[in-house]
Amino acid sequence: MQRRVFLTGLLAALPLAGAWADDRTSRAAAFIEAQGKALVAVLDSDAPLPEKRTEVARILREAVDVRGVGQFVLGRHWRTASETQRNQFLELFEETLVRNLSARFGELQGVTFEVGRAQPRGEEGVSVATTVNRPGQPPVLLDWLVSEASGRPLIVDLVAEGTSLRITQRSEYSAVIQRGGGRLESLLEAMRRQLAQLEARELASN
Amino acid sequence: MHPTALRLVALLAAGLAAGCATVPPESDPEARAEYFETNDPLEPLNRVTYAVNDAFDIMLLRPAAEAYRLFLPQPVRTGIGNVIDNLLLPKTAAHQLLQGKPEMAGKAIARFVVNSTVGILGIFDFATDLGLEPQYEDMGQTLGVWAGTTNGGPYIVLPLLGPSNLRDVFGRGIDMATDPWDYIGQGDTVRALRITRTATQVIDTREQLIEPIDELRQRIDPYAALRSVYQQQRARDILDESPPRRRFFDWRFRPPE
Repeated sequence: MQRRVFLTGLLAALPLAGAWADDRTSRAAAFIEAQGKALVAVLDSDAPLPEKRTEVARILREAVDVRGVGQFVLGRHWRTASETQRNQFLELFEETLVRNLSARFGELQGVTFEVGRAQPRGEEGVSVATTVNRPGQPPVLLDWLVSEASGRPLIVDLVAEGTSLRITQRSEYSAVIQRGGGRLESLLEAMRRQLAQLEARELASN
Repeated sequence: MHPTALRLVALLAAGLAAGCATVPPESDPEARAEYFETNDPLEPLNRVTYAVNDAFDIMLLRPAAEAYRLFLPQPVRTGIGNVIDNLLLPKTAAHQLLQGKPEMAGKAIARFVVNSTVGILGIFDFATDLGLEPQYEDMGQTLGVWAGTTNGGPYIVLPLLGPSNLRDVFGRGIDMATDPWDYIGQGDTVRALRITRTATQVIDTREQLIEPIDELRQRIDPYAALRSVYQQQRARDILDESPPRRRFFDWRFRPPE
């Protein structure tokens, strides 16, 4: 008898759990749709370059869990880093994200996107599939991992054609640190050099 | 032995001796875990091979791919690429059988039959419209399925061929030795066709990778990034998680830019 009550209770709760999960996935999809639209509007605008870059930076800060991703990407080196180093790293990391987009403003003109399926990925969050189209170019499949761990939806990973950006980035950064004799400073220097390159590219292509 | 050959052997031996990375000590478990996850004990040697491949690519392969893109319009390239892909389907079907996926194998064969006939020797991909989507399997993936792990052993950068690992080196060798098309036909024409096929496959693959590799070269550590990308992609291939991609075909005529 008790068992039946328990089972009935469980069955009654199931649709609720489903609805909750459904809620989370639809929220994630709506979030990607909204942030994507905001980004495309900036990309297509005729505003001067610095203004566009500032706008993109604002959207990224709002949409991406920069601190969480940064922490993931730095991996085991995050714990051994000093507070100053962490802040320096996060600043460089965010700037790299922004400049990676702003150096491509020219190529990204006329970009459109469609939001596809959103699927729960357990603890990690919800994966939202998008197809990005550029005129005359093959479409690109981008999956966005959205997490609500911070209380509101935030992007924690971008999976481009099956490759996770944060895993690739972590592997790359850790190689840079290791080759620099285990010093985090060597990574920060390399990131500054890369930023200078991206800046040059931005000037050349816009 | 010839002095130059001797010098080469000495150089290779020195490279091998210096070519092994040291395992981090037990006292640093996190560094150890990372070392085994990266799975690249030959890193110093691999980085040298990578640099040589990179130079070769910049001097020869990339310019060839650029020329291919410049001289052949996109619909023609897509048609050629479709033919190349179509010829890989029998191999794919064989591996699907070896992996215990007979339904997938049936679809691969159906795709091959449709595109080889209606699609005129594979030039047009009509099979996708019938729900027979592109797929690709190889011995490396089959070995991965058999082993029950996506871990392919130590990462290896092959001269000219690029990223691989212990499992995929074996897989590639077996695939090369057992290509079904090598058992059909003989004579100079057939030999010429085989060489043409291989060369076209190389150029076609490189042409599709022009932008991704250009992007890769802009990174802080292209070697480490490519290693991670390769390991992730192969894992997805083995688990059949890579979404099927039809080759891009834009029918609208546009003048060359």
